[in-house]
Amino acid sequence: MNKWWWLLLITLCWSCAGFAIFNSRHHQSTHIPTPDNINRIVSTAPSLTEILFALGLGDKIVGVTLQCNYPPAAAKKPKLGTFWQPNIEAVIAARPDLVITLGFDRQRNIAHRLKRIGYKCLTVNIEKVGDFFDAVEKIGTATDSRQQADELVSSIRKKLDNLSSLAGTGGKVRVLYVVQREPLRVAGRDTFVNEMIELAGGENAIAPTVHKYPPIASEQVYACNADVIIEAAMGQKEISGQQAGALRYWSRFKNTPAVINERIYVIDGDTVSRLGPRLYEGIETIARCLRPELFENKK
Amino acid sequence: MDKSLTAKKLIVTVTLALTLLVVVMFLCSLMGTERVSLRKVFGSTGPQELVNPDYEIFVSVRLPRIILAVIVGAALACAGVVFQAILRNPLADPYILGISSGAGLGAIIAVLSGLNWVFWGRSPIAVFAFAGAMGTIWLVWFIGRLTGKSHITGLLLAGVVVNAFFSAVIMFLTSVAKSEQVHSTIFWLMGNMAEEDFFVLWLSAGAVAAGILALFYISPQLNVISFGQDDARNMGVNVTAIQTIAFAAAAFITAVAVSLSGLIGFVGLIVPHGVRLVFGPDHRQLLPLSGIVGAIFLVAADTLARIIVAPAQLPVGVVTAIVGGPFFLVLLVKHTHKVGWLGK
Repeated sequence: MNKWWWLLLITLCWSCAGFAIFNSRHHQSTHIPTPDNINRIVSTAPSLTEILFALGLGDKIVGVTLQCNYPPAAAKKPKLGTFWQPNIEAVIAARPDLVITLGFDRQRNIAHRLKRIGYKCLTVNIEKVGDFFDAVEKIGTATDSRQQADELVSSIRKKLDNLSSLAGTGGKVRVLYVVQREPLRVAGRDTFVNEMIELAGGENAIAPTVHKYPPIASEQVYACNADVIIEAAMGQKEISGQQAGALRYWSRFKNTPAVINERIYVIDGDTVSRLGPRLYEGIETIARCLRPELFENKK
Repeated sequence: MDKSLTAKKLIVTVTLALTLLVVVMFLCSLMGTERVSLRKVFGSTGPQELVNPDYEIFVSVRLPRIILAVIVGAALACAGVVFQAILRNPLADPYILGISSGAGLGAIIAVLSGLNWVFWGRSPIAVFAFAGAMGTIWLVWFIGRLTGKSHITGLLLAGVVVNAFFSAVIMFLTSVAKSEQVHSTIFWLMGNMAEEDFFVLWLSAGAVAAGILALFYISPQLNVISFGQDDARNMGVNVTAIQTIAFAAAAFITAVAVSLSGLIGFVGLIVPHGVRLVFGPDHRQLLPLSGIVGAIFLVAADTLARIIVAPAQLPVGVVTAIVGGPFFLVLLVKHTHKVGWLGK
């Protein structure tokens, strides 16, 4: 069995050599730019792109994802892969001073890989409405635009306060927020959509669930007794088409208040689901669906 | 068996194949979504230019990924050869005994637990996937032993059932997981190639090479075993010992491959068959050639996956199946009348 000992010996030597070569060479990251020195920014998510534009940093953006379509100027920026899979070669070729990513697995992974090569990355976690304000502050600090960040945050907060004083009167409207129709999937309690519904003066018709966005059966649709059903459409164009389909689809739940009163709305999902600077617009859209009468005299 | 496989003939064939591998690696390293000029990569690393994106793309992103493809491709193809030989089943591939679902289960548990640490440059997903793969294969082997003499059938059935069971657990976990977690698991299950630390590549290359070498040691006995266990026993081969070594080494290199890149299908099934159809069933030649051809195949497939829908990327498993399937069928029709299956 001599050859087996040789194999073991060589493998051990190889591994030791690996430790010797790679652990001695400490990877010092190349120059890390300071906040006032950041001129080339890459964003890996639509919401982050919107925040950057809202902070007046649009000119400094050198790369976005294929999903970044708002504001219109964002759609003209170079595309560096998708939201789920940013292309690391393209990101490096854009020579960014700062790469901003979201905090979930796929995006943390790209940030980790870029950091290893020596790029400056900022990872922000936006899962709740509160996280959004934190993220704006964080991005403002990292890009030397604290002032714009503060202004953005306070203007959105002010609008939200106005809305809540407007919508605060009267009882809560029970809302079913539909993410996808087949199979039927709605926003659960532990989501930012739920927060937005509450900020708009409503209440999620779905009781707490295991899933964040639970798939539900017809039985639960009847049980939740929703006053209003809101469907999120993918993009502006599909709203009218989906509206017609929605009425047909929901008519099967005859005894639900939302169906009886024909209170089924299709809205642009991007403003709600993106959790970006258009947060207020999203909440207002929901509020309009809940209490159209409140907004009638305003317009 | 083969007409006459001399050491010289073997060395010449393997050297030619290795040369082809190096050429393919070089060509693929020039292809990508970004245009990289070699002169820039190795020319102007002067201090006046602090950032050299060409160098970073080539050396830090593309090269490690190509080396990774070589390691994974070679490991999967060699493991495929060995599983086909010891299970005496042409449908066998490295995942047939449940390694895939065991690794998948490990990976999804790592994702769900939200762990976030690094162990020798590996993420929790990789470590759990490796542990899951090794644990599953041990379990299947153990159950297989319990079934007694007709070892192979018991082993296969145990593998199929364990596979189905773990797949069901995976489905259950994905259905209760958060959507963004599910997404990262799905990417992993479809085969996820990314650049790795050179340290990780170095260690994995060593592990895989050692495993393949061990399998090469026993390749003459594998030839005999593929005729049938009784014949092998009559010819003085210690069947149980050889099977154990083959099984352990093949499972080990598969687990390393899976922990590096997720589940990449098809390589371990069609490369061994393709090489067997063209070069004959002698394992002394089949094993090293399959390793090299597997590496070439995966490097090429991964390059396609990188560039075909740029700037986005495809999962490499899609490319291996779409490109490999038809190619294999052509080989099958052209060569089957020349050679039989599994050394018959």
